[in-house]
Amino acid sequence: MTYSSFFYSEILAIFRRKQDAVNALVFFLLVITLFPLGVSPSREFLQPAAGGIIWCAVALAVLMSVEGMFKEDYNDGSLEQLVVSGLYLPILVLLKLGVHWLAVMLPLLTLTPVLSQMLFINWEILWVLILTLIIGSPALFLIGTIGAALTVSLRRGAVLMLLIILPFYLPVIIFATGAIGAAQVGQPYNGQLALLAAISLMTLTLSPIMAAVSIKASVN
Amino acid sequence: MNWIWFHKLGSPKWFFQWANKWSKFAFVLGALMLLTGVIWGLGFAPADYQQGNSFRIIYIHVPTAILAQSCYLGLGVAGLVSLVWRMKMAPVFIKAVAPLGAIMALIALISGAIWGKPTWGAWWVWDARLTSVLILFLLYMGVIAIQNSLDDMQLADKAVAVISVVGLINLPIIKYSVEWWNTLHQPATFTVTAKPAMPMEMWLPLLLSTVGMYGFIAGVAMWRMQTEVLVREHRSNWVKKEVLDNGI
Repeated sequence: MTYSSFFYSEILAIFRRKQDAVNALVFFLLVITLFPLGVSPSREFLQPAAGGIIWCAVALAVLMSVEGMFKEDYNDGSLEQLVVSGLYLPILVLLKLGVHWLAVMLPLLTLTPVLSQMLFINWEILWVLILTLIIGSPALFLIGTIGAALTVSLRRGAVLMLLIILPFYLPVIIFATGAIGAAQVGQPYNGQLALLAAISLMTLTLSPIMAAVSIKASVN
Repeated sequence: MNWIWFHKLGSPKWFFQWANKWSKFAFVLGALMLLTGVIWGLGFAPADYQQGNSFRIIYIHVPTAILAQSCYLGLGVAGLVSLVWRMKMAPVFIKAVAPLGAIMALIALISGAIWGKPTWGAWWVWDARLTSVLILFLLYMGVIAIQNSLDDMQLADKAVAVISVVGLINLPIIKYSVEWWNTLHQPATFTVTAKPAMPMEMWLPLLLSTVGMYGFIAGVAMWRMQTEVLVREHRSNWVKKEVLDNGI
């Protein structure tokens, strides 16, 4: 096995198991539907709250999709094979995560313009929203991987993972919605975007290593 | 300075015997200081010119809030030690201290809410600092939850170490959130560099109760760690001897 063959097989696997990505997308849609139904369908409520609603939905959908990322590999033993393959485990985690990110985020990003119309977001704000999603979502995936790797040996790890990982998502959500909020009142939002990028880069350095440590502990 | 005594603490046996000597000392001294500080603060310190007597809850609120953060700092450092040097005592420390930190954070939250009602007119405000203590509490609960759900001890130790190290990133956000967002909460009470903003008669009991709280928690933490050491090392000869000779 080489890095490229692993990458290729991951793409194939995710393409043949489309249901996972579809599930995340449907979940995303469902969470967003809760807000107009649960709070208020009026433009006065939805327009300022839209950024926050979409970001909360994205965070939950990402958590849900990341949770099962290692499950299949753990159950059929291929996760152990990755550990003993002699390749550097953090890189493998990163490759797997990259494929996963594309599979979930590309459909989600294409769906965002439609949803933002339903939530009365202006076209200018939509670009900021998409920018925050592109810059901030890697952090969500990267942090989530640690939780997924830690709870992979548990049969019912989903709730536990939600409990552990969701607090770490808060800074990402705060800065992303901060950027959208600033754009809505016509203020510069570069600062929040830079902080988002900083969080994404920091998690990029830290979390593949942490996830690899957790995987090694889990398969032993 | 000679650091050998510190390295020796990495061995469960040495730690146990060391803690036998020091835990009572730390606990009793800490409890005495805490009591003195709180009684002094509640009964004898002058009332605040603005907040009246309601400010006196500071003598509970500030020590617990500081301890909640310090415990998490300890957790993060212990997690790093556990991952890098694999010292045996580091996971024991995490397991023993996490519930203590959670209780400290909870007391800080509750006392803050009680303090907030007369001064701000609301039990809860979504201020940056309150929110980050709430997050800190949730982080503690996450650590405790994963410790309890993983049956495999080695995996559980690794897991809490990873989560503690990752959570350590949250501490600076808590500490600097006052300066970043600076909304409603008053600035930090203790600063090393600046002169205290409150008069000596108010500040001294606060210092006393904070230091006392450290000693108190240190004593309790040592006892909890000793218990955990006994459980983990129950097969080794020195534990058998210890239990037979001195009882539990």
